[in-house]
Amino acid sequence: MIKIRALISLFLAGFSVNLLAEEMSEFSQSIDGISKTVDGFFNDYTGWFVGLIFKSVPVGEASFPIIVGWLLLAALIFTIYFGFVQFKRVGLAINIIKGKYTDPNSKEDGEVSHFQALTTALSGTVGLGNIAGVGAALAIGGPGATFWMIVCGLLGMASKFCECTLGVKYRTVLPSGAISGGPMYYLSQGLGEKGFVGLGKALAIGFALMCILGSLGGGNMFQANQAHAMLNYAFDVPSEYGVITGIVLASLVFSVIVGGMPSIASVTERIVPWMAALYVGMSVIVIVANIDQVGTAFGAIFEGAFTGSGVAGGIIGALIQGLKRATFSNEAGVGSAAIAHSAVKTKEPVTEGLVSLLEPFIDTVVICTMTALVITIAGLNTAPFDGGGLTGVTLTAASFTATAGIFKYLLALAVIMFAFSTMISWSYYGLKAWTYLFGEGKKTELVFKLMFCFFVIVGATIQFGAVIDFSDAAIFAMSIFNIIGLYFLMPIVKKELKSFIDRIDSGEIKSYDTKSK
Amino acid sequence: MDNMNTHVNLTIDLNRPLLKEGPDFLSHKVIIKTNEYAYLRPTITAMLFCMVYIVIGSCLIGLAIYLLIMSIKYDLVIFVGGFGIAITTFGLTLIQPFLRRASFDKTSGVFDNRRDRDVKLHHITSLQINNKRVQRKHALSYHCFELNLLTEHGRRINLLNHNNEAQLLNDAQLLAAFLNVEITDCRREIIL
Repeated sequence: MIKIRALISLFLAGFSVNLLAEEMSEFSQSIDGISKTVDGFFNDYTGWFVGLIFKSVPVGEASFPIIVGWLLLAALIFTIYFGFVQFKRVGLAINIIKGKYTDPNSKEDGEVSHFQALTTALSGTVGLGNIAGVGAALAIGGPGATFWMIVCGLLGMASKFCECTLGVKYRTVLPSGAISGGPMYYLSQGLGEKGFVGLGKALAIGFALMCILGSLGGGNMFQANQAHAMLNYAFDVPSEYGVITGIVLASLVFSVIVGGMPSIASVTERIVPWMAALYVGMSVIVIVANIDQVGTAFGAIFEGAFTGSGVAGGIIGALIQGLKRATFSNEAGVGSAAIAHSAVKTKEPVTEGLVSLLEPFIDTVVICTMTALVITIAGLNTAPFDGGGLTGVTLTAASFTATAGIFKYLLALAVIMFAFSTMISWSYYGLKAWTYLFGEGKKTELVFKLMFCFFVIVGATIQFGAVIDFSDAAIFAMSIFNIIGLYFLMPIVKKELKSFIDRIDSGEIKSYDTKSK
Repeated sequence: MDNMNTHVNLTIDLNRPLLKEGPDFLSHKVIIKTNEYAYLRPTITAMLFCMVYIVIGSCLIGLAIYLLIMSIKYDLVIFVGGFGIAITTFGLTLIQPFLRRASFDKTSGVFDNRRDRDVKLHHITSLQINNKRVQRKHALSYHCFELNLLTEHGRRINLLNHNNEAQLLNDAQLLAAFLNVEITDCRREIIL
């Protein structure tokens, strides 16, 4: 009797395992089907948009996207117009962060310390752009792409200075008491003051539309997707289980953006700087452990930048990838940072501009270079650089793991935290753009928030292809509207900078001893 | 000895909010149950948002146990289980203040919030309403309001802390009438 019962149990267990296996197989197929449908949908209906944004002109053997030139030219113009502010005023920016121009007795409740301000700024800049973005850039552009990322980072500092100053200057207090700022406001109000009311409004609306798309694409689906890709690499979690990753991430995002729970946001704000420190620490360990190869790695970076060997399109191909990924990482010229910086507590808009210009430096010049060195040292990224092998987050993770196996776990932890914090940030940008277009209101805001959470699941579930192109295109499209406005408004920023420096020189703005703190 | 006899004058700044943070939703309401008893009741919404963490965390722990039984991927088990435990613990910590029922009992004559030392009701001199801005660099910043009580010994204790101004004003009126104390409106203009 006992034997029969054991046999039945064994049969049932075997049957249920088989049933489970069959169901999982069907589940995998249906997820695969959904991925292809969504990818096909994006390809069919948004392909024209991607083509328009990344419209290219032939330069030598390569096709050079006009948008990349647009961003590079703008950064160059701002650098010259503001008198190389990113090099000349970097000391001033550091002094502002150190609190040299802040009265220690005037600190009010809720105001963050300068150390907090710096760590927040750092945590905001370090993200998947530094990890996955550099991996993608080097996989397609070769080591030489790093050099162009550094150039783009250095020039982008001026763009960020300009947009963040304007973000604070033209911020608005909404009827609810919420502070809103960013390109939507400086484009409409700033250009309105100059007599271009219609143009300002049109640019602001165009920017807001692209910002919503960018928040759902690069600020959401890309993050969720790469978080699951990291789990897939580190733990062999099957791709079709992305839906679980998506649901977990979406629930946590939901609790923050729909519930307004302050605690998870504060916990994230506290953890992310440590994750950034962890990532930098791991990079330093890899670099120090392979110190004898650093010279060769830099050699490969410089050689690749000017020869473009192994890269489709040669030097131009390397340049395009470097510039594209640097912009995606530091967001200079895109306008998104101006939204975040506009909420800061300051009476001097230019101080926020000066502090913000350090971000592209830390993000791109320092941290992206570290990632690039790790990848180049590991030697897993080999020619031809066509993205056919390891790419994105998996290339970076594999390169770290080449030095120490434990790094893939630490990297998985960091990637998930970065993805989560970036999604929270971009939900904020997207919501600001959404309320600009559709007005404030619990219901209209809830529509966006729910849509945002839904896209987290979509992003983690589907296989990328056309979707990532679309995400990229939307973020780059934001720069079209933003930079047109910046050209009109840059004299205002120059005036603000001059006034601030004159008042420091005259002693009107007092300086305080920061050493005694 | 001289020092021991010196009276120290302490100034209590009623304009200063007691707490730095606060939720972006209505977390508690004042309920006057009888003429003798009033308490602060957490809202369903507040509880539900805390439950999100507990449910998600528990699911991850469950998944980790399932993986432990079904596979030999111990690294994944530790990762998923670790996240699950962290999120569940976070949710449990978050829900604690909502489970503590702060009450005003005229029969025993004390206010008990299950956290601070009990306050004799006759020691309560006034209630104050404070406002603040919960500021975030990478999220929406919002207004938040506090209802605090002040004792004759200078203790300030937070009663309510949320962003529903109208409800907080209403609750302040109810509680002031119940305790027969005055309300001091310490709201101020917050200039960025």
